[in-house]
Amino acid sequence: MAEGGPTGPDGGDLPSRLADTGAAGAPERVSHSARRSAALYVAIPLFVAMYAAASGGLSFAGVASYLPTASVDVSYSFLRMAAAYFASLGFALAYGYYAATHRTGERVMIPILDILQSIPILGFFPFALIFFAGLTPGSWPGVNLASVFLIFTSMAWNMVFGVYESLKTLPAELKEVSDTFRLRGFLLFRRVLFPATINRLVYNSVLSWTAGWFFLVEAEIFTTNSSQALPGIGSFLSFAASGHNGQAFLAGIFVLIVLIALLDFAVWRPLGKWAQRFRYDTAPSGEGEVGPASGPAGRFRRVAAYVTRGVRTGVSRISTPLVQLASITRAPAPRSERRLALVSYVEVGAILVLGWLILIAIIVAVYNVFSGPVLPGVWAQIASLPLAMGASALRVTAAYLVCLAVSLPLAMWLARSQRAARFGMPTVEVIASFPATALFPVIIFELIPYLTPEGAAVLMLVTGMMWYLFFNILSGIRALPPDLEEAATSFGVRGWKRFTRVVLPGIFPALITGSITAFGGGWNTLIVAEYLSVSHSQTLSLFGVGRAIDLGYALPGRTGYPLMVAGLLTLVATVVAINELIWKPLYRRAVDKYRVD
Amino acid sequence: MALIRVEHVSKAFAGRHGSISIMQDISFDVANSDFLALVGPSGCGKSTLLRLIQGLDRPTSGQVLFRDQPISSVCPQMAMVFQSFALYPWLTVAQNVAFGLEALGWAPDRIKNQVERYISVTGLDGFQEAYPRELSGGMRQRVGLARALAVEPSVLLMDEPFSALDPLTAEGLREEVLQLWRDPDLPPEAVLLVSHNIEEAIQLADRVIVLARRPSHVLADVRVDLPRPRDRKSSAFYDLTDKVYSLITEGGAPVAATPANGAPTPPQQAL
Repeated sequence: MAEGGPTGPDGGDLPSRLADTGAAGAPERVSHSARRSAALYVAIPLFVAMYAAASGGLSFAGVASYLPTASVDVSYSFLRMAAAYFASLGFALAYGYYAATHRTGERVMIPILDILQSIPILGFFPFALIFFAGLTPGSWPGVNLASVFLIFTSMAWNMVFGVYESLKTLPAELKEVSDTFRLRGFLLFRRVLFPATINRLVYNSVLSWTAGWFFLVEAEIFTTNSSQALPGIGSFLSFAASGHNGQAFLAGIFVLIVLIALLDFAVWRPLGKWAQRFRYDTAPSGEGEVGPASGPAGRFRRVAAYVTRGVRTGVSRISTPLVQLASITRAPAPRSERRLALVSYVEVGAILVLGWLILIAIIVAVYNVFSGPVLPGVWAQIASLPLAMGASALRVTAAYLVCLAVSLPLAMWLARSQRAARFGMPTVEVIASFPATALFPVIIFELIPYLTPEGAAVLMLVTGMMWYLFFNILSGIRALPPDLEEAATSFGVRGWKRFTRVVLPGIFPALITGSITAFGGGWNTLIVAEYLSVSHSQTLSLFGVGRAIDLGYALPGRTGYPLMVAGLLTLVATVVAINELIWKPLYRRAVDKYRVD
Repeated sequence: MALIRVEHVSKAFAGRHGSISIMQDISFDVANSDFLALVGPSGCGKSTLLRLIQGLDRPTSGQVLFRDQPISSVCPQMAMVFQSFALYPWLTVAQNVAFGLEALGWAPDRIKNQVERYISVTGLDGFQEAYPRELSGGMRQRVGLARALAVEPSVLLMDEPFSALDPLTAEGLREEVLQLWRDPDLPPEAVLLVSHNIEEAIQLADRVIVLARRPSHVLADVRVDLPRPRDRKSSAFYDLTDKVYSLITEGGAPVAATPANGAPTPPQQAL
């Protein structure tokens, strides 16, 4: 199931299962890959079950007895996902459409999104919990709203970019046609604007769901032992693992896999096929949406593309959003646009006012949190935050290096060997489509005696980071022009030299993209990975910023809030700083120097 | 009565270092039953001019009048055929042809009949439910043509409609356009064709307006009085082609062009 052929608009490889352009045998390829994936969806859990049964006293009857509860719980999770998804869809259409059609709005809205998507999502979760629980008196709506909000933040940004980009890359002539026939309002939306976004939306929906599962399960695990528990598959798996109940755990995993597989086959694949109709394939200029990806390969690439799209946008303009805001008022308006100046200023003004209001709200909230007396113990924690941040950063970096050490050889092997790819790729894709967080309870309760707590944390980080890096590297290797490799061979450049002189520079942009997104995934996994408290009796903890945030949340009453706020601010500031000071310049250099076009 | 009046139209775009003047002081008329061709070197703004005439864009100075009314927004009595067809990939042929009619708010039955009529007229019978990607270039441009004709425009604007087609297909389509033009039951009343192909212009049009290099102005307004069907190998045809070609390559001062039958025509464009 080699992925070669046409490249998508971001220069990334054409992704997997539903691509029906490109190399020969494409429709046949769809059914083969579908069959193989289906087989894997069945084989992996079966294998795990058999292994478990062989190693301990597991019976199918025992596992089956837990299926009803697991099914109910997974349905709760599914409902949260669906609610968040439709909210994201609506938001994406509204925000993306507005940004794409209003020039001045765009210059504010896109940088804002740029910042929003580099903020580690899970950092917000404790706040969301407090906020929403405070809004609604009874406990269950608040907690659920908070979790839906969390999933929303993991889904929405890339969908907004999808809508925005597909509207901006609408071929000029198609726009002209609708202008010449004076299409307006709903007819314009129905016939032109909405269809133009469908391809990307389907694409990004699949992507969003993958991310969403990850965060939802993480959120459910996180709240398992608090008073605000979320009934769902995450908590089910937590309870199962903490009680060393292998049969229940297996039942939970099984139900989750079934749901994901069901969604894949019953929703995403048919949707993807339908969305093919909305491709452009005629434009000789190469503006083309080429087929959606339902496979994780596409998903992770798209995540990377959208994160780095934000990076790229930032690079191509002035780097900080505040300066960008200032540039709106400073730029001389061309004569023909002066008429519109008044309207644009009103728009900008409205957005700025809104932004300031939000900022003030945040400042007030932070002040309120810190204004009361703070326990000395909590202050001590806050004071140690810089060190904690450093420790966390080290951990994430360590996990990153592990991922790199695995991804590079694995990607090279799968990219080069057709035989390996035939079985390797579907395996990797199915594994990657499963939310790794579901396995965290097992890691915590079964594996800690073998690894240290540090090792377990790093392992968890690795699972949250691996696929971003892997699929991007893979894409980079596949996108290497074969003639560069041929030249290397003909000049006798082999082995290590070839790797450092030819392959590594060639995949450098993809490597950076993958690293950026891998770190993004890492920061998000940090919160759960560090504070491994899933039951009251087994509280393991590590020194780090994630742990600080969790600790702040778990302390009784409101005493821990200052710690939580300070921890989150530290995390956000560090991540944004790393993005601006390390990743953006690195990416800029990568694109300038190493891009193979 | 002139159908379209282009009066002292100039267009400049804002560039990085000040404004770039594309065309200056362009004036000409389009009468009823005119088949007009606009030719000129690359970058002289022929396509821009077409868009100014339709109202997709506004001139920097000057105005365009349609039936003596100045054009301030897109003129619904004109329809355009595009160089790269500009069909919506997610709409069938029938839906693409119906595109303009939907925007006009026609009733579904009326739309259906109209679409059927123009699908027939442009030789697309049987392809109503096909998608553009399933069609060849020539078929796609026929869809573009059908779409434009379906709204029964008074003026048909064509922006290099044949240049994305292979020579044989292009030739066939030119013949079909001429046939449609000759049919008195079919709209439009006038056709404006932009082309970089001088032979094509002389083969199809009654008048050829020659534009200069950027910033362009009207170099000449050449009348083509040859009877149709025109023989490309005839010496009259050749002379005309040569004349227009020389005008374009010499580019600078406006020259009073003489039509093939020898009667002088005053230049449309003052110095």
